[in-house]
Amino acid sequence: MKLFNRNATPAALVVPVDLPPAVSIAELKPRSLAHIRGTVVRIRTIPRTGLPSLAATIEDETGRVVAIWSGRRAIGGVTLGRHIDLHGIAVEGRHELEFHNPEYTLR
Amino acid sequence: MKIVIAGGGSVGRHLAGQLAGASHTVTIVDNNRSVVEKRAAQSSSPNVVWLVGDACDVKALRKSGTNEADVFIAVTGDDEDNLVSALLAKQEFGIPRVIARVNNPRNEWLFNDMWGVDVSVSTPHLLASLVEEAVTVGSVVRLLSLERGRANLVEVTLAAGSPAAGRRIADLGLPRESLIVAVLRDGRVMQPSPDTILAVGDEALVIAAAEDTDHLMLKAALIGDQA
Repeated sequence: MKLFNRNATPAALVVPVDLPPAVSIAELKPRSLAHIRGTVVRIRTIPRTGLPSLAATIEDETGRVVAIWSGRRAIGGVTLGRHIDLHGIAVEGRHELEFHNPEYTLR
Repeated sequence: MKIVIAGGGSVGRHLAGQLAGASHTVTIVDNNRSVVEKRAAQSSSPNVVWLVGDACDVKALRKSGTNEADVFIAVTGDDEDNLVSALLAKQEFGIPRVIARVNNPRNEWLFNDMWGVDVSVSTPHLLASLVEEAVTVGSVVRLLSLERGRANLVEVTLAAGSPAAGRRIADLGLPRESLIVAVLRDGRVMQPSPDTILAVGDEALVIAAAEDTDHLMLKAALIGDQA
């Protein structure tokens, strides 16, 4: 699956990796590179070592993950109800799997 | 466990020897080819693998098996390199435990979970606490930081006039989130019970929450007003 047509997109906007097909959240395995697709259902600013981080809970039909972006309170476009793709390494979090500073695509 | 070490200097080599001796599998990554070739030829342990590569480069880390490692240890002599490789290990490979060496104590504030560091080790800091522990009586000395700084192992030597001297541990009014784990008296280790009566000269080892209020309560209970 090609998410980006390299010929049509300005070079600066091309994501440098070809994303693998999205998997459902229930299929995610910790510590493997994965691409998931879901909806933002919760947004929080959490303190992490004294600095704010943005934690967004992303849900699909099969489960939830938390995406954490360090050092920021908000990211334009990452809002409640937004469809989003995440690409990165999932690691075991406190309750759900977590993505730390994942690449994301707003949809 | 599978362990990747960034930096093949004396610290990295020593660690690798110890860890391989405890039957862990160790890979050392260093970007100096001649050092790697020399050490690999000298190395006798089958559990230690040497690799030429830049630990700040994702490709080199992948080649060293970082994606399967359980522990990543950054011990180069350069704080910037240690931070970058720690961040990559955490973020790109999801390593559960990342340990980084602080070379210059002025950089210590950077070595936290923002940069993917679970545990930071600073030689100057360790030396300072050990020296402080050896020379001080009647104050709380932090020996070790646990749980990413949420708890500390601290040491208190009871000075003359300490409100804790002659009292049962249960009656000291210690903060709830602190625990006397050992009492050293006359060179012997005593296992404390609530009924243990402390004496002047005792060294109490305490695991305590890092909160300021806990610290103050601990000081009040073991040291009193004189500190």
